[in-house]
Amino acid sequence: MASDQHKALLFGAAAAVRLLLFTAFPSLPSLLAGRVEVSTPVTSFKRLQEGLFLYTHNVSPYDGGVYHQAPLLLPLFSLLPNPSYHPFATNLLYTMVDLLSAHALMQIADSGQAAVTRLFTSSRKELRWSSVAIAAGFLFNPFTVATCIARSTSALTNLFILTAMAKASQGALITFVLSMAMASYLAMHPVLLFPPLLILCYDVQATNMKAAPHAWRFAVTHLRRLSIALGALLYLSKLLTGSWDFLGATYGVRLLLPDLTPNVGLWWYFFTEMFDSFREFFLGVFWLHVASYMPGLTIRLRKQPLFVAATLTGIFAVFTPYPSIADAALYLSLVPLFRHLFPLMRYTFLASSSILYASFLGPVFYHLWIYAGSGNANFFYAITLVWSLGLSVIVGDSLYAALRDELDVERPELRGKEVKRI
Amino acid sequence: MALISTILALRKDARILKLPPYLSALCILVGVVWLLVLPLNEYSRNTYVSENALLPGQVHTYFTGSEHNIFRAYRHEVAALADKSVPDRNQRLSEILRSSNLKVATQKYSYATSGRNISNENVYAILQGPRADATEAIVLIAAWTNMDGEINHSGVALVLTLARYFKRWSLWSKDIIFLISGDSTSGPQAWVDAYHDSHSPDTIEPLSIKSGALQGAIAIDYPAGPWGHRYDKLHVVYDGVNGQLPNLDLFNTAVSVASGQMGIGCTLQRMWKHDDSYKERLQTMLRGMISQGLGHASGPHSSFIPYHVDAITLQTVGDGWHDEMSLGRTVESLFRSLNNLLEHLHQSFFFYLLLQANRFVSIGTYLPSAMLIAVNFSITSIALWVASGRAGKLPNPASTAPPSTPGEKSTSSPSKTTPMTLAEKDGALALIPTELLQTTERALFLPLAFVLATHFLGLLPLYIFNNTPSTYLSPVFNLVALLTSLLPFLTSFGLKQFSRPTAQETTLIQCFSLLLLGMFLAALATLNFSLSFLIGIATSPLTFVRRSNNKAISAVASLLLAVLNPVVVIRAATFFFGQDLVKVLVQAAEGWHVWGLWTQVVVWLVWWPAWFAGSVVASEGLFA
Amino acid sequence: MLSSLAFLLVTALIACASASSDYYERLLLRPLPQSTVLASFNFRSNESADAFEHQNFRYFPRSLGQILQHARTKELHLRFSLGRWDAESWGQRPWNGAREGGTGVELWAWVEAQNEEEAFARWLTLTNALSGLFCASLNFIDATKTIRPVMTFQPEGHHANSSNLHLLHGTLPHEVVCTENLTPFLKLLPCKGKAGISSLLDGHKLFDASWQTMSIDVRPMCGPDGRDCALEMEQTVDMVLDVDRSKRPRDNPIPRPLPIEEIECDTTKGYNAGDTCYPLDKSAEPAWNLTEIFGRPLKGACPLTDETGEGSYPVCINTPPERTIEVNTTGQYEEAKLASDTVRCYKLPTGADFDLILPQQRMTTGLILASPQLFAARSINGHGQERGSVQAVIKNPSSTHAVEFVYLEALPWFMKPYLHTLRARVDTSRENPVKETYYRPAVDRKRGTHLELRMVIPPSSTLTLTYDFEKAILRYTEYPPDANRGFDVAPAVIRLINPQSVDNKGIYIRTTSLLLPLPTPDFSMPYNVIILTSTVMALGFGNIFNLLVRRFVGIDEVQTGDAGGLQGVIRGKLERLIAIFKRG
Repeated sequence: MASDQHKALLFGAAAAVRLLLFTAFPSLPSLLAGRVEVSTPVTSFKRLQEGLFLYTHNVSPYDGGVYHQAPLLLPLFSLLPNPSYHPFATNLLYTMVDLLSAHALMQIADSGQAAVTRLFTSSRKELRWSSVAIAAGFLFNPFTVATCIARSTSALTNLFILTAMAKASQGALITFVLSMAMASYLAMHPVLLFPPLLILCYDVQATNMKAAPHAWRFAVTHLRRLSIALGALLYLSKLLTGSWDFLGATYGVRLLLPDLTPNVGLWWYFFTEMFDSFREFFLGVFWLHVASYMPGLTIRLRKQPLFVAATLTGIFAVFTPYPSIADAALYLSLVPLFRHLFPLMRYTFLASSSILYASFLGPVFYHLWIYAGSGNANFFYAITLVWSLGLSVIVGDSLYAALRDELDVERPELRGKEVKRI
Repeated sequence: MALISTILALRKDARILKLPPYLSALCILVGVVWLLVLPLNEYSRNTYVSENALLPGQVHTYFTGSEHNIFRAYRHEVAALADKSVPDRNQRLSEILRSSNLKVATQKYSYATSGRNISNENVYAILQGPRADATEAIVLIAAWTNMDGEINHSGVALVLTLARYFKRWSLWSKDIIFLISGDSTSGPQAWVDAYHDSHSPDTIEPLSIKSGALQGAIAIDYPAGPWGHRYDKLHVVYDGVNGQLPNLDLFNTAVSVASGQMGIGCTLQRMWKHDDSYKERLQTMLRGMISQGLGHASGPHSSFIPYHVDAITLQTVGDGWHDEMSLGRTVESLFRSLNNLLEHLHQSFFFYLLLQANRFVSIGTYLPSAMLIAVNFSITSIALWVASGRAGKLPNPASTAPPSTPGEKSTSSPSKTTPMTLAEKDGALALIPTELLQTTERALFLPLAFVLATHFLGLLPLYIFNNTPSTYLSPVFNLVALLTSLLPFLTSFGLKQFSRPTAQETTLIQCFSLLLLGMFLAALATLNFSLSFLIGIATSPLTFVRRSNNKAISAVASLLLAVLNPVVVIRAATFFFGQDLVKVLVQAAEGWHVWGLWTQVVVWLVWWPAWFAGSVVASEGLFA
Repeated sequence: MLSSLAFLLVTALIACASASSDYYERLLLRPLPQSTVLASFNFRSNESADAFEHQNFRYFPRSLGQILQHARTKELHLRFSLGRWDAESWGQRPWNGAREGGTGVELWAWVEAQNEEEAFARWLTLTNALSGLFCASLNFIDATKTIRPVMTFQPEGHHANSSNLHLLHGTLPHEVVCTENLTPFLKLLPCKGKAGISSLLDGHKLFDASWQTMSIDVRPMCGPDGRDCALEMEQTVDMVLDVDRSKRPRDNPIPRPLPIEEIECDTTKGYNAGDTCYPLDKSAEPAWNLTEIFGRPLKGACPLTDETGEGSYPVCINTPPERTIEVNTTGQYEEAKLASDTVRCYKLPTGADFDLILPQQRMTTGLILASPQLFAARSINGHGQERGSVQAVIKNPSSTHAVEFVYLEALPWFMKPYLHTLRARVDTSRENPVKETYYRPAVDRKRGTHLELRMVIPPSSTLTLTYDFEKAILRYTEYPPDANRGFDVAPAVIRLINPQSVDNKGIYIRTTSLLLPLPTPDFSMPYNVIILTSTVMALGFGNIFNLLVRRFVGIDEVQTGDAGGLQGVIRGKLERLIAIFKRG
């Protein structure tokens, strides 16, 4: 069948590109791993190596300010040969991770949940791209490639998020809960994706089996399952490291932001310049702000849970404490699922060109600040503002398109007319 | 958001689409005029020293008397070394430096660029400041041969004398490094690379002794023979590699010490005479912009600037009455000022255009000119984007129903929307309301692929020019010139043959290439303003090129563009400035291999692709 | 090796003289190459243990004694240092480096406590009290600057129960040592700088020296059978004076060019003329005397020194026998020659000035300097304010025996080393020189990095140690006023394990400190940043929730005129404006 050939071809090409980049430019991985746009303190591969080194030399990696990543990564990577001497295994692993993510993305696309759900059928549902095209959009997205080459652990997080979405859109409950638990264990904030994806799961179940399961019971059982899975993971980590210190060193760092290394997000400079007495207050406000989107979107767009999840990933890419281009890559590769909304989006060119500008000017201004010394921190900060603005414009615009799409279904007579929000 | 939606509402208005060409033209015009008014008093400022610690010219200088006798002796010593071999020379220089109780070391280096092999040796000595704790250092450089290849007799002798003199002071709070580099460009580069351990260890020797973080560097260029020569002015050279500039405070300190304390006139950018008229100021500024745009090393100091070490070269010019001791006292006073520094120089400007020794334009004032020129491309590309969405506006019949795109799905069928538009718009527009409202789907694949491909194609000449032996450079250059001039026609012909690009696709090709161009130039303007501005001017015609089915127009446009081919422009420029083309190319290659020069990257990966895409679009009309 | 042997002999004499007398002082002068003089002062005062317990202090300064008792400090080592010891030309360090510290202030002590917390609390009281006593900002030694070395430092004194002794160590590399530290230092002496060799110590000359270090060491010393213990306090001042520089009068310190007559020219040069002179470096030993180079005369003996024994010869000078030395004093003095005449010691007159005069003299024989066991240099590689790498180069000059040593690094928390990038290479052998590693990683704003390596260098080979580090960006309140200068990183301490030193003080070498430039935010705009970031967040939030909470209706169902199109928009705005005016 043709699509399988296409898929094989695509995956082969993607793997080839990555391995070629790995082998042709041996210094590229460390170069990218050093870029603040690509790897943050909580995802950096160099810090992971340091953690591994301490772990293998029986020093607790969490009794220090360098390693802030999940404990279970340590045994996983300690199985591989030392990347500084024999990088191939690690490179292969990361390539596989990307391919698996692409595979999951294709599953999501094939499920068609983007345009057609149980309660809602878009009027433009026939307007969609093939799953191969969408996977290609993910695999050849320069941000994704950069993340893979930099071997940042956010690639793993993305993999589990995508798997969770895929399983949810297929109604495979157990695997969904497991991958969800894994994603939230690695990066904490993906746990916010659970409600919309659970709804998605519920819808799929309801469509598959004629009689819809009891909603509350369904929710409670899976919430319990998730907490069990998470608890198991955490307990396993405790056994591994011998203490609960890792909680403070991993999730505590994400919550309290002690490490102000620059990144593409909005938090670092804000809390660099923040007065000490207000720091805790604003940390609380910022986290509340991030969390506040989930319920609002889930309730308003009850009929399109997958869209809610995708939008949330976009919001994570802007408003979380340690975002990187990996998060942006995840969101931008999910957007093509909603091809049917494109005609209704209004600021596409504006937003995408601003993102393009930011991704070129960002490194330049960072260089001016850190290396040339001729510019100061505000240069790079300004670019992070532009970047965040561009992404949030895309998020908002797609949201507008989705709502407009729903409106067209509710009130066909308004199709193509000017509408107004009141 | 409300504001944006308002603007978006305007997008529906047809008149908007007619504006952009005029808007772009206006941008370019204003950009150029902006630059021209900069030399006026209203737009430029007098220089001032903003770092309080420097206190330029506040100290009394004592480099006189018997030091002069010693200087003459050293100058004779240096003259005696003129025709010695490099090891003997450096061995003798090390002896002299060692005799004044300094730590001395040497460094061998060799570079291979465009078939030649540059190999030489640096010798340097470290004065450990009595008040210093080896955390900071300042450098005094005298290259053995200056930029013009003359032996730097008095410069080297002066450094030797000053080394002996400085050793007696007990007030140095920073180490002082005396560097006598083998030549003016690659020697300092090798040294400063090795100092920061970013050198290639197989061809460049690491430094055996080091000091702390470099705070500043002063180079002396005084090629007067063993019998000396009284000079008229000091020529302050400040351009760094890739057009990066030293902190303005260093320049100001040098000028105020030289002219204020020692009464030596200062000049810059080879403006030997400067009566501070508008013309002279403009000329100085343009010369500064050209040398900044080229981004080549302009002296021993240039290699230091990329490492965030502020550096300048003091060059003696003309015939006057100032002697070596006044230069020595200038350097002494300058070092006393640098010695006062508490922090790394950061107060003053790093981006500036100098009009005269004590008049400058700061980035806030001049940046808009380059930005406007960059913006004009963005405007056009946005316009083209919108235009490519308007099926009907494009006269090409091929585009009414693009085969590749599901156009009609995009919005609702016109029948519904037409009455509404009629109700809204005035009569004049109601004639073509449906086309106005209808936005067709865009076929993005071919344009994107094409633009990316052209940018990657630029790597080819980049590689060729950086790795061709100097003997073949001139024929290779002509060959490339020929090929690049023909390539657009071939390409557009080929495109016609194989995949007939719709008018929309052609528009999108231009749209993307202009978008990228605008973006690159905007980014570049912050790194190297002059380069961005010059390329912006050279590519400005691309804004107005459109695909037309009129063969004559297309022919004229293609010919005009063929003249603007980067290769041709380079050739013309070298001819105009009376430079030897091969020498320029060799220097560019050396820059690429030795100094990490980025200018040719910009030429081949930004300028050339943009020009190529533009001329392809123009020449498509020929084969329509 | 003659002179070096003599030098060691002197120190040995000093060492053995320790327990005998209650107060003891000695100045040892030795000319060094490049017309410099090393002057090392040594003062020692003992107090019997029970007298110390009962707080009747005789020679031991009460101020310090009470601090020690209050902070339960059993052994104390305090160092004030300035400048660099130039090992290439000056050879081995005085006291084998056991009496010097890194640039700035260095303090380590053994504190008696039940547990770590108590020890640290007492350490804080100690540092605060000492900072008051010595006018130094020792109170800035907080948890981030304190480490607990495991291999580098050994107690010098005899401790009965060393089980509950805690070693704590802190450095202030950026501290500038100056006269305000010297004055309290002199106050601790019994003769308070009024008489004895301490009367030579003058701030202007001391801090004009090319290298100088002041040290205070308090340690309990017991007899061979562990009884009749005494608390011994040793104060040393070592300095290397540049003769030419310190001979300049204080009212005219400017090194003006000499008149041409006073410069001896090389007349063999062809170009030599009245206006051209190739200077010859002086081969003769320069002339100097105590009063000149120390800026004040030596005011007789300190009466507390004992009359007989070698402790009664406080001033010694270590020169070749042929060097002529004249003594200028009104009182009566004695000269004693030790170590085959290379060391001459003088018993000082009481109440009369004493001066040694060394005339200019061409020497035929010179002193052979003992070469140090190791040469160490450390520097930061790379540029930019994001990351870098530290490189330490350690040379073993001896061609016969390998050297085993401990390398101690104490880094501030905002300099984050990557231990997995640590590489130690020896140019002569393939094997890994690192034998043992102790590493305690830093925790942000809580404690600094503490790294100790036990390494071995084969004979006549060079060891290169490198590791990468990353620079953290701090909160803008955490930067000092001169943020763009950078932060100082404390020197690395090297202690030789093998060969062992003759006394129990150990052999130490310290590298120079490093300057670490950090990325700086813009200090001027906290408000702007807060406003701008909040604006962007508000835009995102407002846009999204605006969409979420509102309802869509057709444009023609609401009566805000006919929107859309330019005039529509403008007209709408106008009408709204008019409405407002009507209301107002």
